[in-house]
Amino acid sequence: METRLLLPNKFKLIGWILLVPSAILGIIQIFYLAGSGLKLLDATMFTIYSGSFAPWGGSSIIFGFDKVNLTGTIIGILFILGAVMVAFAKEKHEDEFIAKIRLESFLWATYINYAILLFSFLFFYGIGFMYVMIFNMFTIIILFIVRFNYILYRSTKQLQYEK
Amino acid sequence: MKNSLKVERAIKDITQEELAKIIGVSRQAINSIELGKYVPSTIFSLKLSRYFEKSVNDIFRLEETD
Repeated sequence: METRLLLPNKFKLIGWILLVPSAILGIIQIFYLAGSGLKLLDATMFTIYSGSFAPWGGSSIIFGFDKVNLTGTIIGILFILGAVMVAFAKEKHEDEFIAKIRLESFLWATYINYAILLFSFLFFYGIGFMYVMIFNMFTIIILFIVRFNYILYRSTKQLQYEK
Repeated sequence: MKNSLKVERAIKDITQEELAKIIGVSRQAINSIELGKYVPSTIFSLKLSRYFEKSVNDIFRLEETD
């Protein structure tokens, strides 16, 4: 079956090489550095909106330049690129059966993601909810990768019992 | 839906791996069909039909619940 909209198989390896280190760095940055970053990555960047919670707040900048730290930005970008490559690179034998697993895993990941978010809406408040939002940016694709690869692994394992 | 893929394969004395290669699908797909866990597309079924030189109706059969 012709599968459009997927990346070539070789992106899978590149994806993992980006995904694993950036996930580790991301966890270190959030939990051990409390979101602060390397001095080296201080920069002045163009921003669409940067500042306090309300757009009319005194210190916010709209369509201007702001002094920012790029540690989280870079880790986040690398993670997203890696995760997208891992999730959307073709399998070696991409066919309609794998396409079905792919689609089902997406549905499953979306359900679970919103179930977790609903739970978090009820039980996390204040800065705690901000952490939930930070992780929730990445959970759909992580859940998808885990579920898709687990089902593939399971259906490959079944082969050992069949001749 | 039931299918006699495993039987057809035995008649031709061909492994899942070999059949998968001929049809151009993954081995998991062939296995899942035999286990009744996956219903192949029309194109897939017609390719199986062509290979086994049997009509699709001889390989796949509807069940009461379908």
